This record gives sequence, structure tokens and C-alpha cells, in this order.
Amino acid sequence: MTQATNGTPMIRLEKVSKTFYRDKEALEVLKSIDLEIQEGAYEALMGPSGSGKSTLLNLIAGLDRPTSGKLTVAGADIGAMAEDQRARFRAANIGFVFQTYNLMPVLTARENVELPLLLAKLPADERRKRAEIALKVVGLEHRMDHLPRQLSGGQEQRVAIARAIVTDPKIIVADEPTGDLDRESANEILNLLERLNREFKKTIVMVTHDPAAAERAGTVRRLDKGNLV
Amino acid sequence: MIPIAYNVRSLFVRKATTIATALGIGLVVFVLAASLMLGAGIKKTLVSGGRPDYALVLRKGSDTELASSIEVRTVSLVLAAPGVKKANDGAPVGSGELVVVITMEKPGTDGQVSNVQVRGISDNVLTLRPDVKVIEGRAPTPGTDEVMVGRGIVGRFTGVELGKSFELKKNRPVKVVGVFEAGGSSFESEIWADIDTVRSSFGREGLVSSVTVRLDSPSRFEAFKAVMETDKQLGLEAFREKDYYEKQSQGTSIFVWALGILITIFFSIGAMIGATITMNAAVAQRQREIGTLRALGFSRVSILFSFLLEAVVLAAIGGAFGLFGAFLLSFAEVSMMNFATFQEVTFGFDPNPVLLGAAFVFGAAMGVLGGFFPALRAASVSPVDAMRA
Ligand SMILES: Nc1ncnc2c1ncn2[C@@H]1O[C@H](COP(=O)(O)OP(=O)(O)OP(=O)(O)O)[C@@H](O)[C@H]1O
Ligand SMILES: [Mg+2]
Repeated sequence: MTQATNGTPMIRLEKVSKTFYRDKEALEVLKSIDLEIQEGAYEALMGPSGSGKSTLLNLIAGLDRPTSGKLTVAGADIGAMAEDQRARFRAANIGFVFQTYNLMPVLTARENVELPLLLAKLPADERRKRAEIALKVVGLEHRMDHLPRQLSGGQEQRVAIARAIVTDPKIIVADEPTGDLDRESANEILNLLERLNREFKKTIVMVTHDPAAAERAGTVRRLDKGNLV
Repeated sequence: MIPIAYNVRSLFVRKATTIATALGIGLVVFVLAASLMLGAGIKKTLVSGGRPDYALVLRKGSDTELASSIEVRTVSLVLAAPGVKKANDGAPVGSGELVVVITMEKPGTDGQVSNVQVRGISDNVLTLRPDVKVIEGRAPTPGTDEVMVGRGIVGRFTGVELGKSFELKKNRPVKVVGVFEAGGSSFESEIWADIDTVRSSFGREGLVSSVTVRLDSPSRFEAFKAVMETDKQLGLEAFREKDYYEKQSQGTSIFVWALGILITIFFSIGAMIGATITMNAAVAQRQREIGTLRALGFSRVSILFSFLLEAVVLAAIGGAFGLFGAFLLSFAEVSMMNFATFQEVTFGFDPNPVLLGAAFVFGAAMGVLGGFFPALRAASVSPVDAMRA
């Protein structure tokens, strides 16, 4: 599989560790990880349950901070950022796709997709236009006014992808995006991610258990007990 | 910012809880609005009897007409004082009146009684008080045992109805020949009988309680008062009628306000706890949504603000219920004791928009207070932990 890389690292981890403390008991989940992901790459992260995949993805996405090491994403030293700074970083640079879609149940597809745009100072009609374009990309322009519960799982995930791309972020992180889907819907989602990588030049990092999904990525990395292998 | 539609619709998802909580807050707003409205209604009723160009003369040291007693021969001295307006026929506009309180039975109760004020009036009462209008029947014929009654007490006491009779005192029956209105003032809760009838019934021959005079203009009051009070032998004290009624109303309206505020405080503690429980449940239920919003880049402050706003919307729904109920009260009347005169007076609820607004704002503030800690909890949800749950 080809990927649209151009040789500059979009994501760079140098000796990144992450330790969780539970009642004073330390649990080192990531152990001095060195990793570079190029701009425009499409990478899959595999590994047994509990190996630290989600933890690593959360660090890359700026949701969490490393315990030690240096973490640079899209040119920003996000390991050193305070929470509110990271929130602004996420809004500007990261598109999230979750296993459980995580749409707001009371908002329509269009409103869900518009949500991240509320953080950018855009006029309402511009937000609406962009949300419609994003929904068109995922093929849901005819379901814009539906609530999540009126959609199938695959359609919900497509709305979530529209929400992830509507702000035109550089990076898309996807944590088991097909984990809750049947084969056919999963393939639609994988086709879509592939298109985002190729056509829209998004750097994608996807955690998955599914070999068929991993196969679509340009690079597959494996984590085991907090080490890249 | 997180759109308010998100909060409003989330409230509607939990319809039953939302309505129950809102009703709790609504009750508080209702009680508060009702007591403020009643307090204002009392003030309005009692004070509206007082006009700026009228003066009331009482025995020095008496706070109320009821406690005052002046000899009849003093009345002509008062009427002759400078500043008292003269009618076209040259007669001074003013008269002495005798006020007593009697207990009367309420119909439909088991002999329950309450106090009613009886005013012994002179022939020129309608000239003296142009606001008073006979709306049914006619004015009583002077020197007879006929009476007219204020419209506020018609039907509230046995025999107080046009054409009926009741006993002013044992074996002293009087007949109701008219019903009058008095611009909503407390006169509407009085019985007006001929002054001589009242004197002879209650053994108060040769006495009046007060002298009411109309002045040439409000500015003449100070001079009039000076004349009244220089002669210490007379032992009189003059009040502007407005000040007198204002003072009369104070005790009762403050009592109603204090009672209302006390009840409001008790209820609001309950309603606030209700709001806190409801909002806490909402936050717990929506951990994942909050985590997602945080992941998308919404700050802790915007989460805090969003949930506070949700609590305020919840409180505002309650406030709207409460105001609606309070507004309906403006069509109701209550009859209660005026503590200054021990007389039962009928009051309305004054739907003053400022008071209604204040009660509503109080309700919204309960949303802010009740929702604050849950909102703080929402703001401290860690996106990583929320996604793992
Ligand atoms: N916030 C946290 N606090 C404490 N322990 C955590 C936290 N997040 C993760 N862990 C622990 O770290 C380890 C790795 O978790 P992680 O979620 O990264 O695994 P994963 O590889 O994504 O597993 P899965 O395939 O089951 O999703 C687990 O043992 C987990 O219990
Ligand atoms: Mg995981």
C-alpha cells in the first residue's frame, strides 16, 4: 500500500514513557518509546489488549501528557503544554474517530459535524456550509437532519468521520474505528479513511485489532507490554 | 461555545426528572412572587386611601384612629383652622368620624368570627371622599339605622349583603342599603353607618376618633399641622393622610414579606438540592459526551459554563411555571388581618413586573447555585478517563 508521505515527521516521540499511578502503585504502560510518523502517513497500531495502544494514541492526540520524554506533533511540543493549550492544539490539529462513535445523541448529524467549528470563529452560514461538505464527503448528505439513533452504526461512524475532518486537521487518530461494525460497514469506513489519506493528504494513526483493517495502512506497528516491537 | 440546543434537548431527554426539578424551583418562585405581590398589594390597598391634600387629626399619642378619641367640640376648631378647604357653600370640607371594631360571623363556617371596622360617618362623607362611589343600592339616609358596606366584605360576613340586616351590637340591627367602592383602599373593607347610630350603639356620645380635612393644597399641611399642635391643651396631632396610611400598612406588609421570604428560604434549600441531584445525575450520565467535547477541544471553562447554563435553563423552566401560577394569583383576593387596626381587610396580589422579575431572577440564581458543583464536576471530567469508562 502506498502512502502520501513527503519525508517530514508529523509526529515524533523521543524516549516517551507513560506511567499510571493507581493507589501509589506505578504501572508503566509505555516504556521509552521512540517513534517517528511522517506527514501523510497512514499507520496502523496493533498489539494485545492492555499493551498501551490507546495510551500511545492519546498522547499523540494531545489528550494526555507523557510522564517523560519529548513529544512533538505538528511542530508543537505538546508534551510541555498545559491542558487548555492542548485543548486548543487538539481543536486545530486533530480529528478524532472513536470505536463508539461518540456523537452527541441530542444533536442531528449536521449539528454534530458543526460542533468542532464552534471553536473556530466562523459565521453560522459558513459553519453550515462546511458541515454539509464534510457530510457529502462521507456520503451522508441525505441524512443531515437525522439524530444519531436514527442512523445505523456504520452511518454514525461516517458522521463521526465528517466531524473529524470538518476543521481540516492535519492528523486523524482513530481508536478501533471498525471495532463495533460488521464487515461491510467496516469496509466502508476503511475505504473512507484510505481516501482521506490519499485524496486529502491526512496523516492517519489507527489502532486496530483487525488484521484486515491493518492491511489497509501503509505501515503496521506492533506494541507489546509498552514496547514497540 | 457549546450550543444551548445541546443543553435544552438534553433536558428534554430526561423529561420526568426535568419537570419534577423545575416544579420544585417553580414552587419557590411562586411562593416568593406571591408574598412579594401580596406585600405590595397590602401597601397599595392601605396607602391608596391616603391623598396628598388630606390631613388626618388624631389625639396626640394615638397611632391609629381606633385608639384615638377627640371631643366633638374640638372638631369645629379643627375645621376652622387655616388651610382647610371650603366648599362652594362656604362650609369646610372635613368631618369627624368615629371608628369602632366589631366581631362578625363568617357565613359557612361554624360560627367563626373576625373583626370588621365600623366607621360612623357624617352627612357630607361623599363630598369629603370623592373617590367613594355607591355602586349598588344607595347611600344611607342620615339619622337612620341604615348602613352601606365596602365591596370588599360583601358576602364575607353574615348579613353583609345588600337588603340584608345584621346586628351592629346586640339588639341593634342595621340594614344594608348600599355597597360602595373606594378605589381599592381599605375603606372597601369597612361598614359605614351614621355617626350618631354608632355613638349611641357603643356609648361614645360626644366623641369622634379622628377628623379628616381636605386642605387647599398639599403645601398647606405644615401650617395646618403647626396650628393643630401649638395648642397643647387640645392635645392633637396632625398627619398627612398618605403618611398615616403608609405607616399603617408597614407592619402588615413587612410581616407578609418576612413570612414569604422565610418560607422561600426553606423551600429554596430543598429546590436547590433537587437541582444539584438532577444535574449531578446528568453529569454522571453524560461522562462520555463530556469527554468527547473535551477531546474535540472545548475547554474546561466552556464545559463548566455549558452545564451551568443547563441548570439555569432548568431553573428558568421552573421559574416560568412559578410566574404563571403567581400571575393567576393577581385574579385572587385574600382577606387577612391588618395588624395596625386589627381589622380584617381584603387585599389583592399586585402583579408588579419588577417583583415578578425579581422572583424569576431568584429562581434562576437557584439554578446557578444548585448547578454549580455538578458543573464543576463536569468540567473536571478527564477526557481520557471518560473514554475508558
Ligand atoms: N487512565 C488510566 N489510569 C490507570 N491505568 C490506565 C489508564 N489508562 C490505561 N491504563 C492501563 O494501562 C494499560 C494499557 O491501557 P490501554 O488502554 O493503552 O491498552 P490498549 O492497548 O488500548 O488495550 P485495548 O486493546 O484493550 O484497548 C492497561 O493495563 C490499562 O489498565
Ligand atoms: Mg485501547
